[in-house]
Amino acid sequence: MIRRRPFSTVLLLIVLLLAALIWQNRTHMQAFPDIIGAYSAKEYCSCRYVANNPADYCEAYVAQYVPLSGFWDDAAHKRVTARGLGRTHSAQWLSLRQGCQLLPEPAALPKP
Amino acid sequence: MSFTLFPARRLILACVFGLGGAAAQAENWPGDYWTSQLAAPSAALSELERYAFPTRDDATRQGVRTDALLVIRDGQVVYERYAAPTTADTAHLTWSMAKSLLATTMGVAYGEGRFRLDAPVADYYPPFAAHPQVKVGHLLNWASGLDWQEDYEYAPLKSSVVAMLYTRGRSDMAAFTAAHSADAEPGARFRYSSGDSNVLAAALKNMVGAEAYADYPWTALFDPLGIKTAVWERDAAGTFVGSSYAYMSARDLARVGLLMQRDGRWGEQQLLPKAWVEFNRTPFANYQPQAEKPGDAVPGGQWWLNVAVAGAGKPWPDAPSNMLVASGHWGQGLYVLPDEQLVIVRYADDRDASFDRNHFLKLVLAAMATEVQP
Repeated sequence: MIRRRPFSTVLLLIVLLLAALIWQNRTHMQAFPDIIGAYSAKEYCSCRYVANNPADYCEAYVAQYVPLSGFWDDAAHKRVTARGLGRTHSAQWLSLRQGCQLLPEPAALPKP
Repeated sequence: MSFTLFPARRLILACVFGLGGAAAQAENWPGDYWTSQLAAPSAALSELERYAFPTRDDATRQGVRTDALLVIRDGQVVYERYAAPTTADTAHLTWSMAKSLLATTMGVAYGEGRFRLDAPVADYYPPFAAHPQVKVGHLLNWASGLDWQEDYEYAPLKSSVVAMLYTRGRSDMAAFTAAHSADAEPGARFRYSSGDSNVLAAALKNMVGAEAYADYPWTALFDPLGIKTAVWERDAAGTFVGSSYAYMSARDLARVGLLMQRDGRWGEQQLLPKAWVEFNRTPFANYQPQAEKPGDAVPGGQWWLNVAVAGAGKPWPDAPSNMLVASGHWGQGLYVLPDEQLVIVRYADDRDASFDRNHFLKLVLAAMATEVQP
């Protein structure tokens, strides 16, 4: 088979190898897209409401190579929601001593 | 005010009892505020400023980006500068300096007899029944033996710390850590782990009791030191994120530095047992420096050391070997130099590796050496 279809065989092997790698790292792969939204929501919340830095500074402070597709700083509730790689996360300021914490369920982003 | 009532008598007493007596009389401690004895301008100070505060590029975020630089000598402010938007009032993120703050909080609990270093972690944190051989002291040395991956930005897929803070571990960071398997004997090897620190933070809950826990860092440490800006975030399980999420002003962090400079004593009160500070200052016995990373700090008890061990040189050759360091992501640093009576706080937002700690410390020491005490 290798002699008759060398390219297909190599391609098949690569696909199998990739599938094995993905399976082996499935827990990491599943959580990976959550990082950007959660990181942005949490660190923006703390930058803004714990360190009391200006909003535009905090926006630049959390910026990463991966862009956000949605962001909402709900100043009335000190609740920050960020969406990236298809996943949405919220963090909320709780109290003077406790600062911010990621919420179990994200708040809804306002309709554009 | 009482301390100005009898200046002449103080002077006479100082003369009578000689220099030692004078030094004890003149010991400075911050009250509500720090007193200042600002260093005079000098060429060395200008060089330090040029290095620590170059023109800041917020678009590329390249280069040395100091947010705050505060130097305390003999209990007084000798140098202080901030870069906007950070001010003297900003509760700045300490990142991993929080680990040393957690250890200092635990030092008070240790003095109260709340735990033993050689007790199994599981005695205080039941989920660690899965790792019955791991002792409290092992965690303090980052030597739990758990299979932990600390890399932040360069290996985000498999980074244990990113998963702990933001995704799979965020609701209960200690439980997330406890669920890791072991790949070394406890106490056999050093592996830096934010997970180890958060297990300590969870263990503290049972050490001091669930009721006292939520305010414990304040009642035990921050209030006695007069720290007013501290914020310490928790995970959803209510455990302090001891690895990463403590905030305070530079002036408040310097109070912790002064406490450590004076061996755990705050004014008349021995807040931390001397034996605890000694443990913080003791290099982890089985630490093996890596030849390819000569600048890596030597781990003590949740603090970092500048000692030469196992044939390697000092991590920062231009700084004294008895320097005690708290260190955090993006350039955060608290440096305690007991012989020089210096405490240095640096808050920063260094996004690349251009900041050179050894060079920085060399410049601070040079700038402070030129100053003559009045």
